[in-house]
Amino acid sequence: MGSINSGENITTIKLPLTRSSDWRISLPGKLNKVNSEGVLVDCQDWQLGCTELKQLRSYIEQAGLKLISIRSNIPETIVSAAALGHQSTLVLQKSVLVENSSPKSEEAKSNDSPKLLFHEGTLRSGEHLSAEGDVLLLGDVNPGATISAGGNVMIWGRLRGTAQAGKLGDKKAKIIALELRPVQLRIANAIARGPEEKPAQGLTEEALLESGKIIIQPARVNPFMFDRT
Amino acid sequence: METNTRIILICSGKGGVGKTTLTANLGIALARQGVCTAVLDADFGLRNLDLLLGLENRIVYTAQEVLEETCRLDQALVKHKQEPNLSLMPAGNPRMLDWLKPKDMQRIVDMLSEKFDYVLIDCPAGVEDGFRNAVAASKEAIVVTNPEVSAVRDADRVIGLLNTHGVKPVQLVLNRVRPKMIASQEMLSVDDVTDILALPLLGLVIEDEQVIVSTNRGEPLTLTGGNSPAARCYSNIARRLQGEEIPLIDPSKQGSGVRDKLKRLMQTKIF
Repeated sequence: MGSINSGENITTIKLPLTRSSDWRISLPGKLNKVNSEGVLVDCQDWQLGCTELKQLRSYIEQAGLKLISIRSNIPETIVSAAALGHQSTLVLQKSVLVENSSPKSEEAKSNDSPKLLFHEGTLRSGEHLSAEGDVLLLGDVNPGATISAGGNVMIWGRLRGTAQAGKLGDKKAKIIALELRPVQLRIANAIARGPEEKPAQGLTEEALLESGKIIIQPARVNPFMFDRT
Repeated sequence: METNTRIILICSGKGGVGKTTLTANLGIALARQGVCTAVLDADFGLRNLDLLLGLENRIVYTAQEVLEETCRLDQALVKHKQEPNLSLMPAGNPRMLDWLKPKDMQRIVDMLSEKFDYVLIDCPAGVEDGFRNAVAASKEAIVVTNPEVSAVRDADRVIGLLNTHGVKPVQLVLNRVRPKMIASQEMLSVDDVTDILALPLLGLVIEDEQVIVSTNRGEPLTLTGGNSPAARCYSNIARRLQGEEIPLIDPSKQGSGVRDKLKRLMQTKIF
């Protein structure tokens, strides 16, 4: 790892993978070999916060170069990069490029991404929406209605019925809703009753499986649900 | 045959929420506003629209005979005594439950729409055959519900079915609202219900003991007690149906006015 591809004025530097070595050791040596003005850093699977990215930037500036763009397959790194005002690109596992500069980034997906079923409209009592892959619902799930998916369940609305994610046994599947007030939640083989108390207004929450139990927590800043690194 | 007749299904899913009462009162209220109205009792297994209208003893033929061509349409239609603008069409005989099919319903409604401006169909409870027959002939619908969890759940199911049958627009009537119980948060509020059902609210009907009295007498409230709370609600619904813009009553302000208080005082038996 750590190949250097020279472009016209920008050089792409790939950081080593997390498991092979620390980027702080190898980066200065690589920067010395760069003969263009700007660099694009591919952070691979490094989850970098703002502090670490500032450190990365200072290395680059010490070598008399300019950080042009950040690339990563970890959404958190992209968020930090965006916070520091850098142009950044999320690389999905199957090399699907999603530019974070456009606001509708999560919709820009290619055929390589997992199958996503999109449904617009409220699911009323007695109705059932089922999907093989992920499901994105633009509307509410009313009491008495059921939504289920082989992958993740994403609800741009209120979940007040029953939701099942990972119905074929995917334990990493999540259920996200703008208002999570389900009757019952199911992820893989786990089943949980909905919480008794109402969540705070305007709090987007997600349900996921943690050591065999379904837990509910405020949703992370992670619009890129397809990425399961 | 395309006419401008409004064919409105009045349904609820759950039984006992006030479909038939609404049909009867709405029919009378519309007739009083000079609109030629027919009410069709599609709930012929347990028919009682004729009871509420006080027309039970005048029924000779039903839609069944009309379709079999053993009688004419106007022979089966029962005109209301005081409101000649209103006619009742009983759909069938309780002993013959299986004869009616969706296309029969369609035929009878087509016949009615040639003669009337409004056809109100009183739908049976449930979502089975009776509902399917009734919905087949309808263009738009009014869903009646009560502010209680089971009625709202059933209404939600029915709205889903109406959507799949392409019935549009669907409007909501919230019946048997008790302002006091809503104020003390013992009953679902109007917002709670509209939040789940997401339908335009055509009207609220305040819980009123007079409704029971009028039902037993066979004289709908809109015909007699013009000033009881429920009667006002019903006639407002009829006027909104005609396109008039009347603000919805605010349940939290019901019965707190000086006039209402005075009236209640007068009705209180002191001795």
